[in-house]
This record gives sequence, structure tokens and C-alpha cells, in this order.
Amino acid sequence: MALIYMNMTLAFTVSLLGLLMYRSHLMSSLLCLEGMMLSLFVTMAITILNSHLILASMIPIIMLVFAACEAALGLSLLVMVSNTYGVDHVQNLNLLQC
Amino acid sequence: MTYIVFILSTMFVVGFLGFSSKPSPIYGGVGLIVSGGVGCGIVMNFDGSFLGLMVFLIYLGGMMVVFGYTTAMATELYPEVWVSNKAVLGGLVVGLVMELMLVYYVLGEVHGDVVIEFSDLGDWVVYDMEDYGFVNSEAVGVSSLYSYGAWLIIVTGWSLFVGVVVIMEITRGG
Repeated sequence: MALIYMNMTLAFTVSLLGLLMYRSHLMSSLLCLEGMMLSLFVTMAITILNSHLILASMIPIIMLVFAACEAALGLSLLVMVSNTYGVDHVQNLNLLQC
Repeated sequence: MTYIVFILSTMFVVGFLGFSSKPSPIYGGVGLIVSGGVGCGIVMNFDGSFLGLMVFLIYLGGMMVVFGYTTAMATELYPEVWVSNKAVLGGLVVGLVMELMLVYYVLGEVHGDVVIEFSDLGDWVVYDMEDYGFVNSEAVGVSSLYSYGAWLIIVTGWSLFVGVVVIMEITRGG
């Protein structure tokens, strides 16, 4: 396994941990989600370019399209939370009390 | 210069630590922009000039701008920087220690077969055939999105359209 894949896996894991452990802002978790998408894009791009899979070069672009969709949806939810409460603090999402 | 890709990937991880330790989102956006630039450099080192341009143009120029505007809308009066909060600084320091340990492990020629066998060939196992044609093969592959990937175009176009409609419904109000 080449050296760069270790760093890419570490970057993905660091972002995943950042996504799962909240602090105060919902926006920080959305940024960590975008970071996960970026590390997956770079991993996919260098695998495809190193193995010369020419027709698979469109796959990272398609992944960016779906990442943009998902980011836009997350941002719209954050905008609605911010409209209701003024700030996007995670502690405001407390309607469901199990 | 042999290790340039490894150095860039180390800077990539350090940039990721910058926003995963979760300071205020505006500083997290700065970390993501730096990581995006370094990721573009990594992709360009493998002759991926078009995909690197996509990262800058679409990812940073499109998505990060939208994130920046939304953060400016929902931000606080005194944003937290990395050194102003012990939890953020502690997370960043732990991540930096982890990355330094990895660099020492790799460059100190310590071989270890823990779970996955990391071979010691390094980054210079690049499969290159040494024949240079007239067009960049990766740009040809991306442009085949419109011929062989016609069904992908239809599916992604439709999902983007549905995404726009869903977002308009969400932001219409309760």
C-alpha cells in the first residue's frame, strides 16, 4: 500500500471523527462532511490516474456533483434552524426528547 | 523532490485537523480551503490537471463560497480560534502528534505488518509507460462523460433538479 493512501485514510478518519463528535455549531459538522468528500475525491483521483483507467476519470466529477447536492441540502436545513433560533447551535435541536 | 507527494499529503492531513478540531466555522472554512488547495496539488502530481482544476473551480469556488456566505449569516460575535479554547487546541495537538508519529514511522524506515502490510516501495511506484501522445488521456476520459456516460449525465441532472426542488420546499417555511 503506497504511503499516500495512509495519509488519505487518516484524513478521512479524522474528518469522520470530527463529524460524529459535536461541539456547538451544526456548521462545523457540515464542514467535516465536506472534508470527507474531499479526501474521497483525492483518493479516487489518484487511484484512477495511477492505474490509467481512462474511462473511469469521470467518476470523481460525478462524486463531486452528488457531494454538492448533499452539501446544499445540509445547508438548507441549517438555514431553517438558523431562521428559527437565530444561531445554529446543536443544543437547540431538542424537540425529540426520548 | 521524490517525497513531494508525501509532504503534500501530510499538509493535507494537517489542514484536515485544522477544521476537524472544530474552531468557529469561519476558521474551519479556512482550513478546508487550504486542504482543497493542497489536494489539488496532490492530484496534479499524478498528471491530473483537469481534475485539479475541478477541485479549485467547483469545490472551492462553488461550494466553499456558499459555505462562507452561510457561515457569515449564522455566526457569533466572538468566534473561537484554535488557541482560544482548550478543547480545540487539545484536539489539534493530539492530531499533530499522530501525524508526526506517522512521518517518523515512514521516514525512519521502520517496517511493520500490523493489520495491513505497508510495503516499503513508497510513492515512486507510478505505473508510467513513457509514451507521450498528443492529448492528455485524463481530459479525454473526462470528456467521455458525454458519450459513454450519457446515462450518468441524465441521472445526475435529474438528481440535481430534484435537489433544487427539495431545497425550495424545505426553505419555504414551516
